[in-house]
Amino acid sequence: MPDAVAGLLSGLPLWMEDTLLLLVALLPVLVIGALVLRGFAVGPLLSALLRRQAWVSVVFTALIAVSIGLGVGLIAQERGLREGTARAADKFELVVAAPGSEITAMLAAVYLQPSAIPLIDGPTYAQIAAHPNAELVAPLAFGDSYDNAPVVGSTPAFVEYLSEGLAKGRVFATETEAIAGARTPLGVGDSFAPQHGRGDAAEGAHGDFEYQVVGRMPMTGSPWDQAYIVPAESVWSVHGLANGHGPDWDGSVGAPFDPEYFPGTPAALVKADTLGGAYVMQAQFNTDRTMALFPGTVLSRLHALMGDIRQVMSILAVVTQVLVTVGVLAGLMMLTRLLSRRLALLRALGAPRRFNFALTWSYAVTLIVAGAGLGLALGVLLTRIISGVITARTDILVTASLGWSELHLVGAFVSLTALLALIPAWLTMTRPVVRDLRG
Amino acid sequence: MTGIALAISGLEVRGQGGRRILSAPHLEVPAGAAVAVRGPSGAGKSTLLYAMAGIIAPAQGRIVWGDTDIAGRDDRGRAAFRRESVGFIFQEHLLFEELSALGNAAITALYAPRRDRRRIRDNAEGLLTRLGLGESATRRSDTFSGGERQRIAVVRALAGDAPVILADEPTASLDRPNADALADDLMRLARDDGRTLIAVSHDPALHDRADHVIDVVDGRVETPEVQHA
Repeated sequence: MPDAVAGLLSGLPLWMEDTLLLLVALLPVLVIGALVLRGFAVGPLLSALLRRQAWVSVVFTALIAVSIGLGVGLIAQERGLREGTARAADKFELVVAAPGSEITAMLAAVYLQPSAIPLIDGPTYAQIAAHPNAELVAPLAFGDSYDNAPVVGSTPAFVEYLSEGLAKGRVFATETEAIAGARTPLGVGDSFAPQHGRGDAAEGAHGDFEYQVVGRMPMTGSPWDQAYIVPAESVWSVHGLANGHGPDWDGSVGAPFDPEYFPGTPAALVKADTLGGAYVMQAQFNTDRTMALFPGTVLSRLHALMGDIRQVMSILAVVTQVLVTVGVLAGLMMLTRLLSRRLALLRALGAPRRFNFALTWSYAVTLIVAGAGLGLALGVLLTRIISGVITARTDILVTASLGWSELHLVGAFVSLTALLALIPAWLTMTRPVVRDLRG
Repeated sequence: MTGIALAISGLEVRGQGGRRILSAPHLEVPAGAAVAVRGPSGAGKSTLLYAMAGIIAPAQGRIVWGDTDIAGRDDRGRAAFRRESVGFIFQEHLLFEELSALGNAAITALYAPRRDRRRIRDNAEGLLTRLGLGESATRRSDTFSGGERQRIAVVRALAGDAPVILADEPTASLDRPNADALADDLMRLARDDGRTLIAVSHDPALHDRADHVIDVVDGRVETPEVQHA
């Protein structure tokens, strides 16, 4: 795009830029339509044609709708997934873990995916917690589950930070209290016994130990909605480890932890005082003993990789749609042969050749536009269904909805295929009138 | 409205492979005349009519309607002439079944200049009423009988105020009473408005009602015979 146009566009509000782009995408079909239909009233004959070929029209429209719906749905879904994963990681500014795979550490800390990662020890954790730029540092303690949902140990401060205010109840204050995620079945006052391990690997309860739910999280759109958050101390205790505090501990859960009695954590979740502070900490804790990562950065690297896939997907979607439309147009060419007597009649009555051209073209474009419109609706439906499935399976809230890029894609598709529809329309002009008239 | 005269000279129409299928050395039809064209099947009657309408381009010769030689025009020019000056009636009514009687009768309005569309529609409505179809003008055309459908086709040919009506076997697909009624309607409507009517037909009823009868024999147009003063 020339710099001047790009400059002009960049000065506009985003919605106006998107609307303009959609209009530009639709411009070819609008211009062709204006030129082809100028001076004619094809409406009544077009409607007669659609009624006469009702089933053919329905099948052709459905084919276009399905191809567009699948293409648009996939692209919207991919974006929804990207946004969902980014939203889920929003609260996790900086994660400090033992050196290893950044992705594994992120999956474990942010998305609560079971994984075996090394722990960071008490002195290292204390160093992180004491950093002048650290506003909030919380350990994570994994290992238990209830009803296949993870039971994650952490601190009251982390619960307050993650929830931004509980939906119900209060934050845990003792080792036997728990907070239920927004999508868990338990409510305030319910009790549950944690199982060691998770899923198929669950190995049974820790004796008679039970938690009582004292608060419920609001929806965060992350796997934490499906988890129970409990004091890290109790997770460590029930596994026979030190509970993070010295012998003279008063029993109030949460920071500060005593490095001597700190059993280790797979990750320290950090909120720095400022963005600059976060970078300072990230630089300082990228050492041979620790790895500091921004989940947002790791995600965007993953998304960049997905971006390439998205481009391939977009191209494949367009190619599929164009192929379907070419098939439909080929069908239309055959159809125009069936309609040849009627078109010849119009010519014999004195209709200009351009009238038959306009009639055939507008018939094709009606199917294309109807197919595109239905395809968008189908795309919305598909994304809702797939989003629901992904949300249920990954616990990452995916709320995919159609965006401007899909509308631009469909706009370009309509224009491109409207151009292709000129071919069958042109073929009607070359047919022999007398022979067609005699059938 | 006044019909226009036709003067044909040295007309030759060739078919596939350049074979001559029709010749008309000399033919004149006065403005406002009602002419029947007769001849055996395959003699070239319809070809003559199609050439007169400009649907077929002749290999040589002149087809002059008033001052306009349509043989010298290209396809677009001949279609424009048809649009402005010719109403065509086919052997089979050839209606768009999904459209109403009025929709078919006023179909030429769809590609006529915007200023003429209202007039064509009003004419079609008036003519349908004159032919007894005014009450059911909004009914789908495929719900009408054969005779009624052909009357709708006649209205379609007349609604645009064309000074020339060309009809190809307009009564061939009708039973006797309907054929007679249609022949009467066609002649009356053409004469009332002073249009030039040329009808290809095997039907003696139509020949009897015409001012002139032209014979086409073995692809050659004979000199017309005058029937009525």
